[in-house]
Amino acid sequence: MRLPVNSGWLLVLPFLLLVGGLFLGPILNVLWISVTDPTPGVQNYAQLGSSDTLRRILWTTFRVCVICTAFSVILGYSIAYAMVHATGPAQSRMLGLLLVSFWISVLVRTFSWLMLLGRNGVVNSTLDALGIISAPIPFMRNELGVLIGMVHYMVPYAVLPIFAAMQSIDGRVVQASRSLGATGAQTFWRVYLPLTKPGVVAASLVVFIINLGFYVIPAVLGGGKVLMVAEYISVQVLITLQWGTAAMLAAILLFGVLALMFVMSRFMKLSTVFGGART
Amino acid sequence: MHDKNFMRETLLQGAQAFQAGKLQRRSFLALCGMAGFASASVLAGRAEAAAGEIVMWNWGGQSEECHQSAIGAAFTKDTGVPLKFDTSGPLQGKIKEMVDSGNVTADVCDADLFDAVALGKTGHLEALDYSVIDKTKTIDGYALEFGISIILYGYAFMYDTQAYPDGPPTSWADFFDTAKFPGTRSLYKWANGSLEAALMADGVAADQLYPLDIDRALKRITAIKADTIYWGSGSEAHDMIVNGEVSMGMVWQNRGRSIETETNGRYKLVMNQALAMPGAYIVPKGNPGGADVMKFIATAQSVPAQLDLFACLGMTPTNPEAIAQMAEADQPYSITSAANMPNIALNDPTWWGENTDAAVNAFLAAIS
Repeated sequence: MRLPVNSGWLLVLPFLLLVGGLFLGPILNVLWISVTDPTPGVQNYAQLGSSDTLRRILWTTFRVCVICTAFSVILGYSIAYAMVHATGPAQSRMLGLLLVSFWISVLVRTFSWLMLLGRNGVVNSTLDALGIISAPIPFMRNELGVLIGMVHYMVPYAVLPIFAAMQSIDGRVVQASRSLGATGAQTFWRVYLPLTKPGVVAASLVVFIINLGFYVIPAVLGGGKVLMVAEYISVQVLITLQWGTAAMLAAILLFGVLALMFVMSRFMKLSTVFGGART
Repeated sequence: MHDKNFMRETLLQGAQAFQAGKLQRRSFLALCGMAGFASASVLAGRAEAAAGEIVMWNWGGQSEECHQSAIGAAFTKDTGVPLKFDTSGPLQGKIKEMVDSGNVTADVCDADLFDAVALGKTGHLEALDYSVIDKTKTIDGYALEFGISIILYGYAFMYDTQAYPDGPPTSWADFFDTAKFPGTRSLYKWANGSLEAALMADGVAADQLYPLDIDRALKRITAIKADTIYWGSGSEAHDMIVNGEVSMGMVWQNRGRSIETETNGRYKLVMNQALAMPGAYIVPKGNPGGADVMKFIATAQSVPAQLDLFACLGMTPTNPEAIAQMAEADQPYSITSAANMPNIALNDPTWWGENTDAAVNAFLAAIS
């Protein structure tokens, strides 16, 4: 007799329970705090309507994330394109370099950017010595600095899903397009790009979602003036003890991500985006 | 270190879920079994909290060896009780979380006196035993029910001597005057000290600062926002100065001397109108080491401990006897020395303990 459910589920049951207890539990706790601290009610959520600061912080976060996602995916697409068209050893070297940059800690990157692009950094002092600029260019300690740092961090995350999507394309499709008279540009826009769309969507989602939680890079490279949600939550938890506000913002982020995935799922099958079976 | 903490927290949450009946016994045991090294660290966590020793919760780095040599050595010699450290930084939120979770693993926190006011009020701290600790061995007004100031740090500013050869800035009014003293500035990003500095620049007398007029201070701060960057840690403040990012930078005053030395005197510390901050020892409610911690705090008040802390960390002693015994060359860097005392402001921990949330959030709203 067949079991009503696949018996494989029994094997993963303990882990599902773990996920339930250790992952969903704390998330529910955060949601609970957001409607009970300091007093029961929705006053924490009502702050969104009354506080210009909260709205500005959310807007800054959204704006920075969108811009960063766009640049990361465009750069990632170019790199993946170059990688997929490179031959054996060159491709391995490129993949190696990409993974190395993946592993550099965020603090090291942050301080490297300051040394490179800071007020007295390598770039500014070189330009100054060459007489090209008279005052240092303010690359860092502002929103531009945050974007540079974040895009640099996120490019490898964008490359990998796009690279995977490109690898699965049958090269003969492109040849077929050319042989039927399409130009190189036409082939790219009308054949190649649509075929890599799942990779691009996956990369955009991953990059955007990771960006939402960025903390160190905006805190340091923003010079205190680019306040994003993650840092604000941390201040509310650790310094001002307004856990209700912190939990509310965390909940907003969570719902934002879920809403984003829902919208995406209306346009395409999310399982293909995340490399699941194509049906 | 971080991973160990993370695993410990994960397991603790598992344990709580198990206790609350949200997680099945078997799953919890499976979790413990899977994370072999994690259970080891939970045991280590228990060991840290064992009776018969005092665990100091501080900020790591140099402060660990300084506290051990300045206070720990003498304390262990007198009582036989060893001193251990948790260096993860006792921010208010972390202390609250530790006490609320019922798993208190620290005996004494190297915190601020305003933390004593805020967390004392909410029942997260043990009252100090003033039959063991001496109220007279600190600055007037800095021995409170739930915390006592052991050392002082402070907010002062440093300037680039090459940027202002014609006459250096000497006060917060100069610091906030970008017309007379052009160049980028740095301020502390979580309001403390920055608000007081702005008010003094606006002409408020050092002994009339509290209650702080937040709006007035923020007007002054936003007026120079385009020329200001903000730091969140001592090392960031240090880097902004020595890397030449700022012409004038607010610093924690105890770090000023080492920056002067490191830059061969190019950057100079201005102690006029510095804000003295009472660094305080506070005891989380239900601390595992019990009453021994009071003896530890008393040891920290002793003259040799106080002078050693100054030599090691640059933190100014609060014990008047220790201040009197400081060397001549150290006096300018001691925020409450006889020469500095008439020109500095003293932080009011009660105002900050009651208004941190409003002040910090108003400040963040203004600078972001």
